[in-house]
Amino acid sequence: MDRALYIAANSARHAELAQAVHAHNLANVSTDGFRARFADTLADAVDGSGLPGRVYGVSKSPGFDFTAGTVRETGRVLDVAIDGQGMFTVQLPNGREAHTRNGAFRVDSAGRLMSEAGYQVVGGSGPITLPPYSTIVIAKDGSISVRPQGQGAETIVQVDRLRMVNPEPEDVERTQPGLFTSLGPNLLPFAPDVRVQSGALESSNVNAVSELTEILALARRFEIETRLMSTAEDNDAAATQLLRIG
Amino acid sequence: MNSALWISKTGLSAQDVALRTISNNLANVSTVGYKRDRANFEDLMYQIQQQPGALSSQNTLLPSGTQLGLGVRIVDTQKEFSVGTLQITEQPLDVAIEGRGFFQILLPDGTTGFTRTGSFQLNENGSLVTAQGYELNPAITVPQGSNTVTIGVDGTVSVSQVGDPAPTQVGSITLVDFVNPAGLEAAGGNLYRETAASGAAVQGIAGTQGLGEVIQGALEGSNVNIVEELVNMVSTQRAYEINSRVVSTADQMLQYITQNI
Repeated sequence: MDRALYIAANSARHAELAQAVHAHNLANVSTDGFRARFADTLADAVDGSGLPGRVYGVSKSPGFDFTAGTVRETGRVLDVAIDGQGMFTVQLPNGREAHTRNGAFRVDSAGRLMSEAGYQVVGGSGPITLPPYSTIVIAKDGSISVRPQGQGAETIVQVDRLRMVNPEPEDVERTQPGLFTSLGPNLLPFAPDVRVQSGALESSNVNAVSELTEILALARRFEIETRLMSTAEDNDAAATQLLRIG
Repeated sequence: MNSALWISKTGLSAQDVALRTISNNLANVSTVGYKRDRANFEDLMYQIQQQPGALSSQNTLLPSGTQLGLGVRIVDTQKEFSVGTLQITEQPLDVAIEGRGFFQILLPDGTTGFTRTGSFQLNENGSLVTAQGYELNPAITVPQGSNTVTIGVDGTVSVSQVGDPAPTQVGSITLVDFVNPAGLEAAGGNLYRETAASGAAVQGIAGTQGLGEVIQGALEGSNVNIVEELVNMVSTQRAYEINSRVVSTADQMLQYITQNI
C-alpha cells in the first residue's frame, strides 16, 4: 500500500485541528479578557525502512498569546482592566486559586465581590467581602475603598487590595472556561507592581485578520492534501491496472 | 465532521444574542428610567488532546499540551444601574432619584415591584400611580381640592389647600436599595422584581443610608449611550461576518473532499 496516502490523510486531519484553534479564537473575538491560542505545525519524522520520506505534519497548540488587548472605557466602577501584564485571582469552589484577565466584577446579595463567571474575587486576605456601601473606588494598585452606607464623605474605609499575579506564560494553563490556573504546586506570588484601571474593560486580543488568513491558508492546505490523496489513489489504480494486464 | 463548523456556530449564536441586547437597548433609548443591558461572553471548555505538564521524556515536561477550545457562549446579560441623565420636566408629579434607590410599586397580584421611573399620575381616588395605574407603596393620596403638591428631597409629600396657608403632609415616598441591583429580575414595564441574587430590599428615607435624593419636577432618562451601542453594533456585525466566513470555509473543505476523493 502506498504510504503517501497516510501522510496526506494525517496532514489533512491536522489542518482541521489547527483550524479548530483558529475558529475558537474567532468565536471569542468579543470575549473580554480572552487570550488567543497559538496553532503551529511541527514536522514529526517517523522513519522506517526505505527512504526517509515519512514526515508527518502534526498540529500543536503551544500556549497563549499574552499581548494585552485593547482597553475600552465602560464607566462602571466595578469594571477593572489590567494595564499591561498581570492577572486577577479568583477562588474556585474547591478552594483553589485561578486567574483571569476579565475584570467585569459584581457584588452579590451577601456583599461578596464576584467575577463575571460567578467565582469569588480574592484579595490580600482571602475572598473579598464588601460592607454595604454608597460609593466604591478601585485604585490604580488594586486597593478597594468604600464609603459605608449612611456615612459621610469623610469616612472612607479601605476594604482590601485585589490579589494580582504576574505569571510567566509557561507557568499557567487554561483549565476551566475563562480561567487560567498555575501549573506548579505552589500559589503564584502576589505581584504588587501590576496596575489596574477602574471603569474600563480589556477586549479580546484576537487579531481577526490574521486568524481569518490562517483559516483560509489551512483550507487551501487541506485541498492540497486532498489532491495528494486522490493522486495516491490514481497511482494505486494504475498499479492494479498493470497487474490485470499481466 | 469538521469541528471548526461547530465552533464558529457557537460564535454566530453568541453574536446573535449580543445583537439582540444591543437592539433592545437602542429601542429603549427614550424610555424613562431604563437601564441598559450588556451581554458578557465567556470561552467554552477546552478538549485536551495532549496533557500540558505530561512527560515529554524522562526529565522534561511538555510546556503546553494541545488543547482545542470549543467556542464561546453568553455567560449573562447584565443590567447596568448607572444613573441616566436627569431631564427637567417641571411636572409636579414627576420624580427622579438622584443616586441609588428604587420606588416601590404595589402590583395587581399583591407583590411589590421596584422601578426607577418616577412619572407618576393621579388615579380616580387621588392616589399616586404609575403610567400602568399601579399604586405607589406605601400609598399616597392627594385630597380633593388641593392646590399644589410639593415633594421634598427626603420624599415627604405635602399639599396646600385653597385658603389654607399651612401645607399638610399627606405621606412620604420611601425608597429601597439592594446590595446587588444587577441581580434584580427585569419584569418589563420599567419594573423589577426582587430575587435571591439581588438580596432583600432595604427600605430607607431618601437622602440617607446611601440612598439618593428625590427631585421633584425631573425624570431620569435612559442610561443608554447611543454612540457606544452603535459602535458595539458594528463590532458585533463584523464578528458575526467573520464567524460565518469560517462556516463557509469549513463547508468548502467538506465539499472539496467529497467531490475529489
